[in-house]
Amino acid sequence: MSQVTETRELFTLDCQGAVLRGTFHKPRKDFPGTSSTGILSLAGFPMPRAAHGDAAVYWAASFANFGYPSFRIDLPGAGDSSADVPAELFQFINMGGHERVAAAAVKQLVERYNLSGVVILGHCAGAISAIFAAAICEECRGLILLDAPFHLPPAGRPKVKQALFHWSTWSRFGGLLSNIHDQINNIHLFLRRNAPPANTNFPLLKRWKDLASGGLPILLINAPSPKASGTKPRVGKFDYLRHILKLAGNRSRVEVKIIESAHHTFSDPVGRDAVRRQIEQWMPTFFPFENPEQATANVAQPMHSNNEAEFSTRQSMYARVDATREVESLP
Amino acid sequence: MGTQHTCRKVLEEQADYFAVPGAHLYTMLHRVEEPVARVLLSGPFASERHYSYDPWVRWARYLAQRGVEVLRYDYRGVGESEGIFEEMTFQHWSEDLQLLASWLKSRSPNLPLVLHGLEMGALLAGIAFQAGVGDVLLLWSPPANANLALRPTLLRWVVADQLFKFGDDRRPASAYFQKMEEGLTIEVEGYRWTAKLWRDSHEVKLPSAMEDENRARAIYHRPVRVVRLGKDAIPLIKGGNAVTNEPRNYTSLFAKNWGWLAGALAIDGGGSE
Repeated sequence: MSQVTETRELFTLDCQGAVLRGTFHKPRKDFPGTSSTGILSLAGFPMPRAAHGDAAVYWAASFANFGYPSFRIDLPGAGDSSADVPAELFQFINMGGHERVAAAAVKQLVERYNLSGVVILGHCAGAISAIFAAAICEECRGLILLDAPFHLPPAGRPKVKQALFHWSTWSRFGGLLSNIHDQINNIHLFLRRNAPPANTNFPLLKRWKDLASGGLPILLINAPSPKASGTKPRVGKFDYLRHILKLAGNRSRVEVKIIESAHHTFSDPVGRDAVRRQIEQWMPTFFPFENPEQATANVAQPMHSNNEAEFSTRQSMYARVDATREVESLP
Repeated sequence: MGTQHTCRKVLEEQADYFAVPGAHLYTMLHRVEEPVARVLLSGPFASERHYSYDPWVRWARYLAQRGVEVLRYDYRGVGESEGIFEEMTFQHWSEDLQLLASWLKSRSPNLPLVLHGLEMGALLAGIAFQAGVGDVLLLWSPPANANLALRPTLLRWVVADQLFKFGDDRRPASAYFQKMEEGLTIEVEGYRWTAKLWRDSHEVKLPSAMEDENRARAIYHRPVRVVRLGKDAIPLIKGGNAVTNEPRNYTSLFAKNWGWLAGALAIDGGGSE
């Protein structure tokens, strides 16, 4: 029995009274391009840190191979970490219940592994925790958000809604009713002047605005929503992507990618590979590979650059991509 | 197996890698000071691992609090274990179980070793038990053969995979089965299922004696318990949402199974709460 293999190392962190379990994917020592910026993956709750289809293992191993030290942890109540699943789970997570523990984990990883900072990669509920943590964490240098929900779970009976939606996808009559329902929603949306709906997660949006407008590099990767058309959401649905880009402002460094054909979990071969490639393109832009001297110097730098010129060269981008190429871009 | 009290100090859980041919298995040992028995937990298959993880961990902790040392693990190519899933076979996964059972037994050969499997893990545990591994066997919802464990997982995936497809893009479940029968590999919830996996799954069968507990006990002369989990055990078994807003309560399920286990081990199972 050993806690280390050639490519991985198991670790524990004591954060906010909980014991967090994690896996460190080590960059190859002989690889010329290594970075002192790590990537920390937070799976969607309550998935264990391997995530759906072990996609997070694939990504972490790939990023380590690419040169970035990569970490995956189980947040309290998930996977092998201690602590029970919190009561009122959805509200707990949506209101940033894991904010402090995730921020503490980042800090400890930076100290233990001598990193210059960490980019948090969060999927779904993990993305919510990532945003909250980044807002209070000096060591967080960037965010990668996979299908981050900016709204609270809808009220009502989700099972009935799911069943109706399923029916509408195969029944011609159901499809027709669904389209009428969408148009009614669209009128409601118009009447309230395209304002965010009541179930918007406003505390999360506030953190997003602070981070994005402050210039934190953010890569937002989404799977297409049901009945979405191109870069537009389903008819009658509030366009959260455009809204958050607007909140981010024109000095932000946000990139949005929609991966065609991917599922919400990104565990399918198309999704997981596209996510890997997008991140491997994006990371070196903001976190270039460094030699050891540079890495040491970077530790002393402030967390979020205030370089105006740098902001102006990396404006927010919004693009829809298939597995291999960009197919549509919006300013 | 004399009567002993189960009040033991629970030590820190220990995560490790265990070397097997060509890979390292991820293991979690729920250590106990002076344990009264040891249990090897053999979990469900691939994507089912993730859904059942929380109650599976809670069961391991429940047992550890009662003086039983527990070892959990991930199969080769799944979760935290190394290996490429599509290169693995049932032979590899059976070997994983047997190697870990040997290791666990070697920690204190005089202590009873319990094999406890869930779904696909129950199938593998049953096969190992028939081969003489373990002193006590507890099976939760074992399928009669491995294909019966794969099939519902695939059907659930077909529903999810087809949800956003319309018209000619839609495929019935039979199209997925046919692909594998034609020798092709398909993706199911992030795992690549090979034609070989599908073919072999028909041949991996629960020993027929285990279809009846009494018969199994008579044949193996060791305690055997087969439990068909009900809806109260979701998400240990398929059905319903894996995530709920309020934590699920498994007290009754755990207490019943602990009661049987304590009896089989002839230990004092009292004070289980």
